[in-house]
Amino acid sequence: MTNANNQGMPAHASHSAGAKAPARPNLTAQLSAQLPDLDLDTVAQPSGTPVITFDHVTKVYPAQPSKPALYDISLQVFAGEFVFLVGHSGSGKTTLTRMIIREIKPTEGHIYIADEDLSTMRNWRVPYLRRNIGTVFQDFKLLPNKTVFENVAFALEVIGKSRHVIRTQVPEVLRLVGLQDKLDKYPDQLSGGEQQRVSIARAIVNRPPLLVCDEPTGNLDPQTSRGIMDLLERINRTGTTVLVATHDREMVDNMRRRVIALDKGRLTRDQDRGVYGFDV
Amino acid sequence: MCTVSMSSFAYFFSESLKGFARNLSTALGSIVTIFLSLLIIGVFLIGGLVVDNIVNSVEDKVSITAYVADDASQEDIDAVENYITGLDGVASIHFTTKDQALENFKNSMTSNPEIVDQLDGQNPLPASIDVQLSDAQMVETVAGEIESNETFQKIADNPDDPSDSLKYGQKTVDRLFTVTNYIRTIGVALVVLLIFIAFVFINNTIRLSILARRKEIAIMRLVGASNNFIRGPFLMEGALHAIIGAGLSIVVMEVLRRVALPQIQSSLPWLPINIPGSSFGIIYLMLLVSGLVIGLLGSALAMRRYLKV
Repeated sequence: MTNANNQGMPAHASHSAGAKAPARPNLTAQLSAQLPDLDLDTVAQPSGTPVITFDHVTKVYPAQPSKPALYDISLQVFAGEFVFLVGHSGSGKTTLTRMIIREIKPTEGHIYIADEDLSTMRNWRVPYLRRNIGTVFQDFKLLPNKTVFENVAFALEVIGKSRHVIRTQVPEVLRLVGLQDKLDKYPDQLSGGEQQRVSIARAIVNRPPLLVCDEPTGNLDPQTSRGIMDLLERINRTGTTVLVATHDREMVDNMRRRVIALDKGRLTRDQDRGVYGFDV
Repeated sequence: MCTVSMSSFAYFFSESLKGFARNLSTALGSIVTIFLSLLIIGVFLIGGLVVDNIVNSVEDKVSITAYVADDASQEDIDAVENYITGLDGVASIHFTTKDQALENFKNSMTSNPEIVDQLDGQNPLPASIDVQLSDAQMVETVAGEIESNETFQKIADNPDDPSDSLKYGQKTVDRLFTVTNYIRTIGVALVVLLIFIAFVFINNTIRLSILARRKEIAIMRLVGASNNFIRGPFLMEGALHAIIGAGLSIVVMEVLRRVALPQIQSSLPWLPINIPGSSFGIIYLMLLVSGLVIGLLGSALAMRRYLKV
């Protein structure tokens, strides 16, 4: 873990930064020094430092050189925000989420996660980036031969957390997702919604400031999906920035959160931009 | 970069043991190939030491033996003896009759009296003139001069090729070298082949291990396990195979040393095999180290191909 990774990443970010966040993160400090404190009251929550910055990002997969998966995407997500990323299948949602955890690199442009440029990040630093980003997927990615407790504990074990930390943090996070009675169950003994809760528990057990979910409710019925979304909202209220990629537009519109829409790799809609002063 | 702690070392160990149990047949394959290649390397190293010992002992005995035909006249023998005594670098000469030669042979064969029995009272051994040299460097020169002596050519045991009737250390050493060179070439080829096979086996074992754990690896990558932490169990698995293989080969070598070597020594008493225990210690260490290199390199190559971190 390095200092650079921590900058801007804490969930309860200082509210000294101005409303108009700069496109380049290295200007953030300068600008926030210049901006007067009175801005704080007029700006709607959330505000603060950008956690995710996409700066004219284009991704072209070698298999389809004429059809970019993402084209010239610029956006910023601030600490404490809850953002929906919507679009049809193939619109680039998954590409975007995979770029945030540096599973793939952009063909052009830059991505900054909390001031750190992912395109110049050294490979050995990537794991330390991912320790600050929780990830949830449609297919849960649980280990079938481990219990609920072990599945969540695994995430802490492999980053070298002590047994003491595991024994206190895992039951706590499982209580948060409402699975305190199912610690010893195996994934195939749980319902789909419960399995997704386990995977969310695993994603947040290390208390990451950013949670990225790729189609978290894709496999679930509407009622269960609602429960998962409530859980994500609850996590967001504790200060965690949450980005949810989904094609469930109805749900998104019901929840009245910031929505970023992608269509064929282009950013077509950013519903709350007036509020945040999003100048891209 | 974080250093890998003791507890993760234990984790690597238990994970590599699981991998071992998961793919028992391929794991055994890689262990056996490592074991065989190391055993052959070890046997050849010991063989090399034995050859070195023989060469040294032969070079110590700087003497020439000139074999004389059975029907040679005493005058000719005397003439040749006088000629040899007069040569530079000759210290002394000694004439061994056919009977004495047989007696010497019998004495050297006390442990295998049946060989002597098979002679059936016959005496196939020729008489010889043993020439002791004062200067080991002169062996070739003196031998050449004896060979070119006309009287010797007449009484030589093999009149067609007098040089064949002259035995001296250098010749034995040369012959030894041609034989050992062949053996060495074959040995090196065999070892290279076996190491290649060992690589293939390790590669396959580690690949299967990676495949079996690909879900866990994907999750480890997502939650930010360091690259070393993900690689650890596989490197450990390769090292484990190597250590087991090397251990087996060392055990077999030690058994050979304790059981087989004394028997070889007693049946071939003229072969100076006395190799100090320290040489064996060094060879065992070499086997362990080269086994580890094979194991770690093999799993590292497999990870390069199959493990994206």
